[in-house]
Amino acid sequence: MKKSRSRIMIVSISVIIAMSALYFTFTEDIIAQQEDNVFVTHSGGVIKTTGEIIDPVYSTLLDPEYTESTVEFDAMEYLREFNYGHVSQLPDGTTLREFTIIAEDDKIMEVSPGVFFNVWTFNGTVPGPTIRATEGDLVRINFINNGSKSHTMHFHGIHPAEMDGVFEIVGPGGKFTYEFEAGPVGIHPYHCHVMPLEEHIVRGLYGVYIVDPKEGRPAADEMVMVLNGFDTDFDTENNFYAANSIPFYYQNNPIQINTNELIRIYVLNMVEFDPINNLHLHGNLYNYYPTGTSLVPTFYTDMITLSQTERGIIEFEYKYPGKYLFHAHKVEFSEKGWIGIFQVNDNLDQKPQTEIEYGT
Amino acid sequence: MELDNKSSKGKIIVSGIIPFAFLILLMAYIFGPGSDLLDFGIPLPEITMEKVDFVDSEIRVTVRNTGPIPVEVVMADINDRIQPAAIEPDRFLERYETALVIIPFEWNEAEPYIIGLTIEDGTRFEKEIEAAAPALEPSLELVGFFAMIGTYVGIIPVMIGLLWLPFIRKISKNKYHFFLALTAGLLLFLGIDSIEEALDVSEENLAGSFNGALLVATVVVLSFLGLHYSGEKLIRRAASSRIAKPTAIALMISIGIGLHNFGEGLAIGAAVGLGSIAFSTFLIVGFALHNTTEGIAIAAPMSRGKALIGKALIVKLAGLGLIAGAPAIFGAWVGGFVYSPFTSVIFLAVGAGAIFQVIITILRWIREEGDKNLSSAAVVSGFAAGMLIMYLTSILV
Repeated sequence: MKKSRSRIMIVSISVIIAMSALYFTFTEDIIAQQEDNVFVTHSGGVIKTTGEIIDPVYSTLLDPEYTESTVEFDAMEYLREFNYGHVSQLPDGTTLREFTIIAEDDKIMEVSPGVFFNVWTFNGTVPGPTIRATEGDLVRINFINNGSKSHTMHFHGIHPAEMDGVFEIVGPGGKFTYEFEAGPVGIHPYHCHVMPLEEHIVRGLYGVYIVDPKEGRPAADEMVMVLNGFDTDFDTENNFYAANSIPFYYQNNPIQINTNELIRIYVLNMVEFDPINNLHLHGNLYNYYPTGTSLVPTFYTDMITLSQTERGIIEFEYKYPGKYLFHAHKVEFSEKGWIGIFQVNDNLDQKPQTEIEYGT
Repeated sequence: MELDNKSSKGKIIVSGIIPFAFLILLMAYIFGPGSDLLDFGIPLPEITMEKVDFVDSEIRVTVRNTGPIPVEVVMADINDRIQPAAIEPDRFLERYETALVIIPFEWNEAEPYIIGLTIEDGTRFEKEIEAAAPALEPSLELVGFFAMIGTYVGIIPVMIGLLWLPFIRKISKNKYHFFLALTAGLLLFLGIDSIEEALDVSEENLAGSFNGALLVATVVVLSFLGLHYSGEKLIRRAASSRIAKPTAIALMISIGIGLHNFGEGLAIGAAVGLGSIAFSTFLIVGFALHNTTEGIAIAAPMSRGKALIGKALIVKLAGLGLIAGAPAIFGAWVGGFVYSPFTSVIFLAVGAGAIFQVIITILRWIREEGDKNLSSAAVVSGFAAGMLIMYLTSILV
């Protein structure tokens, strides 16, 4: 009895020793047997893993079944989408532009791959549609509030007091028609102006309103960039920053432009909580038109600083083809998504005609 | 008569089952048709980062879903700046499931970091690391290193403490009681120490859903009851066999102390693992002094009863010393290589329960040995001295 027990002891001890020896000798082999996938991340690094990648932006080198992360909102489409409204002529010859804007507050938007956040929207997206008119046009907005809270539309610009969207609160299910003459020339924000105002703005109720000069601006590849952020955990600090809502979007999907072609960007800063935002362009400088109200640029720079709802127009051309970053030089913001790339393609057959038009 | 008996037995069984049947019905109703009625309140997700390892150009985070609902881990950040990361096996975590998040990052030694993880609804959870230090990679060298530390801390001091045996053997009954009570005092201190440590670890590293304090209390009581039951059996058997009762008690003390030393080994291994090497040198010196007193605890009961001499005694003492001291080695391995706060809490609590059981055994022994008196000057002063000695040596740790 006693003997057999001690035998069992000896056997089990030697088994344990053998197992641990095996473990320490062959650990690496055991791990290597599992299949690794290789990913390229948003910062350009390469990660090997048997699991998944969690990153707002990534692509894969080896496994073709893995697709790049995507979200529903198409920031590339938004970038160059301008809404001129339903156009008609008034008897006196004035152009009437009619828009229908619907406010909702129950949308769940994928604000970054995998992150689903309840946003409040004009026409279903953050930012809302870019509304564009020419100076002197009559703008008519048929506003419908389909949300569960009160909302309004407050346009920056010049208009009668009752069209200001502040005191005429539109309750759930309510409607209101905003009507005013487009002006002044420039880029302006519109946003909800119901209290608590900060919440109604940061949840996504904002968009861009552009008023073109009657004589027009030189032809250019035009874009809209709303610099915004999302506070997804309600601690009054943004968890994500971006140009046009989706973090790292234009880094993963570079904006294609051409050399020697005039690029015009309507920039609006809608970031809340942080006092300032800024925009830095690589390998180039741009002409800056604050608020876009003048046709003569104020600065020639590669860095502008914008406070809340501060906006303007930047214009530039690239001489050399290649990849150029643009991002917030408040680097915290760029590391949380406010960063993108211009892919400048060589414009061989097209001689720089815009340059002639644009020459100062 | 027999039939009657059978049917009444059946009745008893049925009457025992009926409440269960109703309970099952209630559960079925709550989860089935009644679930709408009870569906109020919004369950909030929660994840806990239980372990953060700093390895070559990588930060590895063990995360557990400690909330009431499944979650998806979708993003990692360091110091509130988004970082690409991998998650293994995948980003979907059921309740209590864990995953490993691997964040490639060129970290700097001894600098503080805040690790953040964001889940699918945008909620961000964070864990602060006071100072980054390289994680230990298991290697034979380190295994040997920890074995050596365990020997210094566990085995050698206990053996040294056992050398007091001849001294204790020669002293008067009263003084002997003093030493037994001293042992009880030492152990009480260790028990409280273990509980404090277990509560600390659970407070810092375990999610609220584990009910840390209640987990510790439950495990302490279970461990106490388990050892109480088996200890009683051992002592009863000792009375009828060749094992002397004092030896049985000494054996139980050794087991209790062994469990406690496992916890100490964990603390040392974890301290080395967390890179606080200087701190762990201090720990080692402190524990070594501290643990010498544990040798006395084992020696005290051994000094009475059938007088063993020579080789037999030495073998027995060495065996007891190993039982008490060797777990420190295993603890150091576990703490250094596969540290998990949950298992640490469990081991510390088991150790505490074991120690309380041993205290009861010793006090009984004193009562039986002595004049059924637990409030003699010798016992009271011994107990007090035990606590004091431990407190003073613990300052070193």
